[in-house]
Amino acid sequence: MTDYLIDSPITLAKHIGQSRDLWQLKENDSGERGWQLSAPEIFSALRSPDAMESAKQFFFAPRENIFQFDGNQFRESLPAPEPFALVGVSSCDLTAIAYQDHFFRDDPHYQARRQQALLVGYECLSPCAKGFCPSVDAGPGAREGSADLVLHQLQEDQWLLRVLTDTGARALEGLVLEKAGDAAQTQRHNQIEACIEAFPDDSHIHAGIEAINSNSVAQETWDAAGIQCLSCSGCTTLCPTCSCYGTSDHTTGDTMIRERFWDSCLYDGFQREASQNNPAGAAGDRVRRFWYHKFSREFFQASDNPGPADRYGCVGCGRCEVTCPGVIGVHSMMKKITE
Amino acid sequence: MQALHDMDVSTSQAITTICPFCGVGCGMTLQVQQSGAGTRLSGIAPQLNHPISRGQLCAKGWSTPFAIDAADRIKTPLRRTPGGFQPISWAEALKSIGESIRTILEEDGPQALGVISSARATNEDNYAAQKFARAVLRTNNVDHCARICHSPTVAGLKQTLGSGAMTNSASDIEQTDLIVVFGADPTENHSILGGHILRAREQGTRLIVVDPRKTRLARIADLHLQLRPGSNIALVNALLAEIFANNWQADQFLDARCEGLDALRKSVARTDADAGAEVTGVAPELVRSAAREYSQAKKAMILYGMGVTQYVSGTNNVIALSNLALACGQIGRPGTGVNPLRGQNNVQGACDMGCLPNVYPGYQAVAEEEIRNKFARAWQVSVAEHAGLTSLGMTLATLEDKFRGLILFGEDPVVTDPDQTRERRALDKLDLLVVAELTMTETAKQADFVLPAASFAEKDGTFTNCERRVQRVRKALPPPGEARADWQWLGDIARELGSDALDWESAEEIFDELAALTPIYSGMTYAGLDREHGLQWPCNKEAPQGTAILHSDRFPIGRARLIPVHHVEIDEPADDEFPLVLTTNRLHFHYGCGSMSRKSPLLERETPDGILFINSFDAHNLSLSQHSPVKVSSRRGFIETRAIISDEVPAGLVTMPYHFREAPSNRLTNNAMDPVTKMPELKACAVRVEPLPADAQPRTMDEILADEAREVAGD
Repeated sequence: MTDYLIDSPITLAKHIGQSRDLWQLKENDSGERGWQLSAPEIFSALRSPDAMESAKQFFFAPRENIFQFDGNQFRESLPAPEPFALVGVSSCDLTAIAYQDHFFRDDPHYQARRQQALLVGYECLSPCAKGFCPSVDAGPGAREGSADLVLHQLQEDQWLLRVLTDTGARALEGLVLEKAGDAAQTQRHNQIEACIEAFPDDSHIHAGIEAINSNSVAQETWDAAGIQCLSCSGCTTLCPTCSCYGTSDHTTGDTMIRERFWDSCLYDGFQREASQNNPAGAAGDRVRRFWYHKFSREFFQASDNPGPADRYGCVGCGRCEVTCPGVIGVHSMMKKITE
Repeated sequence: MQALHDMDVSTSQAITTICPFCGVGCGMTLQVQQSGAGTRLSGIAPQLNHPISRGQLCAKGWSTPFAIDAADRIKTPLRRTPGGFQPISWAEALKSIGESIRTILEEDGPQALGVISSARATNEDNYAAQKFARAVLRTNNVDHCARICHSPTVAGLKQTLGSGAMTNSASDIEQTDLIVVFGADPTENHSILGGHILRAREQGTRLIVVDPRKTRLARIADLHLQLRPGSNIALVNALLAEIFANNWQADQFLDARCEGLDALRKSVARTDADAGAEVTGVAPELVRSAAREYSQAKKAMILYGMGVTQYVSGTNNVIALSNLALACGQIGRPGTGVNPLRGQNNVQGACDMGCLPNVYPGYQAVAEEEIRNKFARAWQVSVAEHAGLTSLGMTLATLEDKFRGLILFGEDPVVTDPDQTRERRALDKLDLLVVAELTMTETAKQADFVLPAASFAEKDGTFTNCERRVQRVRKALPPPGEARADWQWLGDIARELGSDALDWESAEEIFDELAALTPIYSGMTYAGLDREHGLQWPCNKEAPQGTAILHSDRFPIGRARLIPVHHVEIDEPADDEFPLVLTTNRLHFHYGCGSMSRKSPLLERETPDGILFINSFDAHNLSLSQHSPVKVSSRRGFIETRAIISDEVPAGLVTMPYHFREAPSNRLTNNAMDPVTKMPELKACAVRVEPLPADAQPRTMDEILADEAREVAGD
């Protein structure tokens, strides 16, 4: 596909804003960053891992009604959003969306939203505070197919606009742009290499991943982490690849509504059975399970199901490190494993 | 709640506000979207730049959208009728409530009426509540749940230091060399602060835990002093005895800033670690180590909770801790202090606002004529001369036919107060009970009128956290149905009674009024609070940026007072008939009466199958296995639940969380009170545990009451 040069993300936003709602990261009056409906005339230039929330909520809703039953008939409640665009999703979060796309490939609620979305990536030129995307193959360059369009800044007033999908190409129809030459591609390549070089030492992440895969982490390490896990659900809530949900039924009058909501595998009740038996009743076992799901190569699905899930379940955004009150987020935990 | 863009969204907004759960006061951002269908909450996120929580929330905080979900909410005023509650209009409700209040005022005067305000409501709501009591009803009968959490702190520290609040700040946890967690379970109840302790511990800060239970922090502590319930003073006096015997006290500090040293020395000279052990059960060498570590640390801070205050000796327990800190000079500097962990999001503020029967806002005493005149002038009314009734005082006065009308909001005393049977009887007896709530509670079920209240997300205002930080709460959503902020409906009732004392246009207007009358808040405005992420009181001309550490140079009373205190036995020790001691605790996943946390299906799923935690030794003696159905009885009643065998509790002690209406621990708890503050002894009473048949399903409290009613009817 052809890549282009563009003077500003705003030029792009104004064009796609004609047919879609635009969402960008914004700072509110208190300085907090999050996704907001946005006018096309602004480009926030915020990087998505600097916001607490990833983009997963756009597709996998924190809470949503699945169906209702009025005593005679079941009625599904599929969402039907208007077309929209997320402008400025960093590579780590794009990789996570691709991972979720695979997990929720047959989920009509997820897909109803996902089909309406245009993803515009924004490649980071310097490392974020807690990130380690290069070590888990998730950035800083956007992975093939993970976005429709990707913005990469070359100069103050010159950006490389990469087109990764047909949807992306269609979104540019009617916009007259100069094709990008080799010089732009080389500059992008060099800038990404420089960004990778600038990441701080994360050998503890590599060593932790190897320890998990060789099954050489002492049970005492997990048990000690279990004491510090408060089961707050912060890690799983903010993790852009976590996809577990629970359901509950509410009845008012003759109508029953089933709601689903984000669940957390760190809760004791997550796997507790009706008999009260719990295969993961010890907090340390739940912490171990969480990290195995993020880092064990046993969860790669390459052999029978090649696709975006053929990778670690962690995209290196570092949000869990920030939000964990128990000091067992990714950096802390991998250091404990390898100490 | 749906995904961000599910409806035809016209605008979206992120409103940063304060978590409605515990007293840590974490920051959270509510994501709301406006569409043709109205304004809706679509998500929450932790506030990354909050000075304490820095991007973190606990399980309760994360569950906030469930807690305030419109689907469960009371949306119109309700009137009790023989056929159940009937929706009525605000106009009807106000007219009937007004008539009832006027009748009581005419027949029995203001002393027969009172207000119980809410530590969950804003400062503005609480200021309005006490002003309603004092300027509209003309009584000091105003109280709130601090009575059963930190009233001994307010009374004790006021005497010894001159100010009854946390002396230092949350951030001091990162600066100290030694943390003493005394009768508190912060990882469960103040989880984000608990997390700060976990982090400090990892970075080498020493940790001493004093608790009868093996709490999460006790498991990782350097020293765990597992004392018998109710032996706090004996333990602290033994620590002091060892400190003085070894000359470890801070002589310079004692000389320069304290009084009463000789009497204290003399008083504790009668004991030592060995003598203390007979009362506390703590090994003498542990006490000596703790005495040395605490007194010799450059910076040591005490954090304490309900395990100190909820005893008949509550006020003296607090004084004992104050003695310890003063004797070692561990106060008035970064990383030190005597630091009560306040339970509810705004219990500090409800106290600051004077929702207490003996003080006006800012702890200005009702007993002082000058203060009474100040408020009478400001409010342009005459005010009552005598202190009012506490919440338990109102209960007792009701049973004696001296108290007839109560307005209560955001509290559920039927579940949270001791001796539930008596509490229910008193509420039944009232001629007028008005309860404003988000959702139906056990207390609201007994009301004559239930009013729909706005939640924290539906109003502007401020909360004051446990480190005295006054923080902005911002309206993100419209209240559901006809719900109104507490200050608004209180104003409506005032107007019904012909008073314009509560005629405010906005929460900010209330804040400006209260700041002008409350010296410790006098330097605060909404603009200042917005700018600084909250300000810590005292904030005034001398300290325009607020005060992170109290008592740096001087105590408000000049010299701090060392006051000898002596061990007092718990009111109801175990005996042959009731051979186990019951204490109460809280679970990370639940909060207070459960009216908010139990709305989350995830947190509700975390509720254990049974809630009597019992040691394996006692369980074995009673032939109980895990989840066995049991009956737990005390002199005041019984409940049924299942046993959870846990070595968190030592033999001889059982524990129950108090969040659960099905098996309310307060059916069992003792109402014996601290003589100073009327704090009931919620932390210890004698119980008997009996196994039910192995296949029995424990009955809920409602089922037990229904069965009892049937039996009475059958007679």
